[in-house]
Amino acid sequence: MKRKLALAMVLAMTASMAQPVLAADSKTTLDVIISQYGTQTQAWWSQFEKDFEAENPDVDLNIEIVSWNDLYTKVNTLVANNNAPDILNIDVLADYVADDLLMPATEYASEDLQSKFFPAFWDASTIDDTVYALPILASCRALFYNKDILDEAGASVPTTWAEIQETAQKIKDKFGDDVYPWGIDMTTDEGQAAFSYYTWNNGGGFVDENGDWALNSEKNVEALNFAVGLVNDGYTNSDPANETRYDLQDMFGASKVAMMIGPNNIPTYLSDGGYDINYDVTTIPANEGCESVAMGVCDRLEVFKDDSAEDQDARTAAITKFFDFFYDDERYADYMVYEGFLPTTQTAADLLAKDDDTFASWIDILQSCNFYPATKTEWADVKQGVIEVEQNALLGDDVQTLLDDLQADIAG
Amino acid sequence: MKKKKPFAAVEPYLWLLPSILLMTVFILFPIFEVFRTSMSEVSKAGLIKGFCGLDNFTKVLRGSTFKLVLHNTIVWTVAVVVISTVFGFILALVLNNKFRCRKAVRAIVVFPWATSLIIQAGVWKFIIDKDYGALNTLLMKIGLISSPVNWTPTPQAYFAWEIFVGIFVTVPFVTFCVLSGLQSIDNSYYEAATVDGANYWQKLFKITLPLVKSSLTVSTVLNIIYVFNSFPIIWTITKGDPASRTDTLVTYLYKLAFYKGKSGEAAAVSVIGFLILCLCASIYMVVSLRKEEE
Repeated sequence: MKRKLALAMVLAMTASMAQPVLAADSKTTLDVIISQYGTQTQAWWSQFEKDFEAENPDVDLNIEIVSWNDLYTKVNTLVANNNAPDILNIDVLADYVADDLLMPATEYASEDLQSKFFPAFWDASTIDDTVYALPILASCRALFYNKDILDEAGASVPTTWAEIQETAQKIKDKFGDDVYPWGIDMTTDEGQAAFSYYTWNNGGGFVDENGDWALNSEKNVEALNFAVGLVNDGYTNSDPANETRYDLQDMFGASKVAMMIGPNNIPTYLSDGGYDINYDVTTIPANEGCESVAMGVCDRLEVFKDDSAEDQDARTAAITKFFDFFYDDERYADYMVYEGFLPTTQTAADLLAKDDDTFASWIDILQSCNFYPATKTEWADVKQGVIEVEQNALLGDDVQTLLDDLQADIAG
Repeated sequence: MKKKKPFAAVEPYLWLLPSILLMTVFILFPIFEVFRTSMSEVSKAGLIKGFCGLDNFTKVLRGSTFKLVLHNTIVWTVAVVVISTVFGFILALVLNNKFRCRKAVRAIVVFPWATSLIIQAGVWKFIIDKDYGALNTLLMKIGLISSPVNWTPTPQAYFAWEIFVGIFVTVPFVTFCVLSGLQSIDNSYYEAATVDGANYWQKLFKITLPLVKSSLTVSTVLNIIYVFNSFPIIWTITKGDPASRTDTLVTYLYKLAFYKGKSGEAAAVSVIGFLILCLCASIYMVVSLRKEEE
């Protein structure tokens, strides 16, 4: 008897390993992956899910919040297993378009919604004249500086590269090793941002006027040499290859770093972290004779094709409802304030500018920002490539040779 | 002769079925997938586009980074395994003696091994941090240094710290493997040796070492595999930076797959690592077991 019972249990265990077959449901289910922008992202989206489902009983939302640390790993695994989400919030785009995985935005974004976006953001996801994503939010980078430290050192706010060195030297003279005058991040996390800050503000950049890769331009070499020079002269944090922007933001909050280039949500970060310092924000210093260029970062909402969906029209309709609901001016503006980012729709921007002047000025800066060339298929390689160039340059290698090699590697 | 019932013939296989299924799903299938991916052209988004032979292997082996990373991996594995085996062995000898609070000390030794590697690595990263680190704060408080010391001025220094953390978390495992071997040695061997006039070192090399050899073999083989494949320590402390100077094969392939979108090449690195490990572990097992038989 015991034997039979045990055998039955073994068979039951084996059977339980088989995938359960789910009963068919008349509701349309949408799997949505949202990236985590702050500690409270989950709470906002949980409420969103409830509100949305109450208003749209025919759609079942399945929202998952994923941290940026795990996002690429997770999405890559899902895509490789043909299990991509319906809606994805991420920054990259070109790799999915190259594999024909994304739906064109005009197929699901209502005309009313399309007209709301700032044209620059609507166009930012265009590949071969087709728009493949909706801009979820934007942020803008500028120079943050600690007013008290600069005042005490008798230094002025730098507007040019020469002035950065001058101000940094004054701070170094006054505070010695206690304060790092200039924060710089050349880590695997976001070293491509440093490349942008310095090359764009020297008239260079990732691409030339035709949109072709121009990584080893004279301007870029000069810019990187300047940035690495700041490190070698002892004006920066001691470990730029390992100290991320978040480490710098913490050091800035603790008055350990006097100046750093960072995103517009630093005030939110500092107040959430309980930091209390006297700081201000200004444009990123440029080399003599060059115009200051701010850096914009734009994250996206993308819709994956799903050939296995039984009712394509119902799926597309549900997606349209999702976006109309999310980009509703009040709700969308609320999310932007909640996470400390800038809106990508004119209507939400107008709404926010009414109550808060700083929003209005950031939105103005945003119009003139440069963005990463993320719609080019080689972007992932370029991004990691420039980070390796920076880190090798920090170790003493020649910037010109490094950039020449990278350019040859990317452009062939 | 009694004829076997048909049920009796299949019964053992039925009992084995769950284990075989689990092994197929969780061990054999992933290994097969890695080999398949390593010989496939994989798009950046992660889709397999077709068979490409050994292209991924050629691309990986041609790159200059791979040599650096392989060199790092060998230094990392050899240093961590050898030094922790020596220290673990010594610690086991100490803990095998009878002294007060022996149980408490043995429990404390397990701590580094029982704590999550990410937490360990995170804590050590904090300890050696130049600006906020506990080590600098401590040394400054007791007056040994006047200003913070940069404990990680070069990539080599970072790598040395990572090796130190690797040793710190590996020693307990060796200690307990050896300790279990030591406890099984009958005391009469030592008594007989003492009567014959053997000194401490003779007893150590002629009695203790040969008798704990099988425990040492197990701990060394397992450690070679664990340490070679260890990801959390290096990833938490440096992410393999700057410019792959502290990368090992595992962190390098992770970057290839998830930062550069080159899953095919990442799988190729994984296969190379797998083969190296299989080779090293088999050689070590064969050599040490053969000696044991002799």
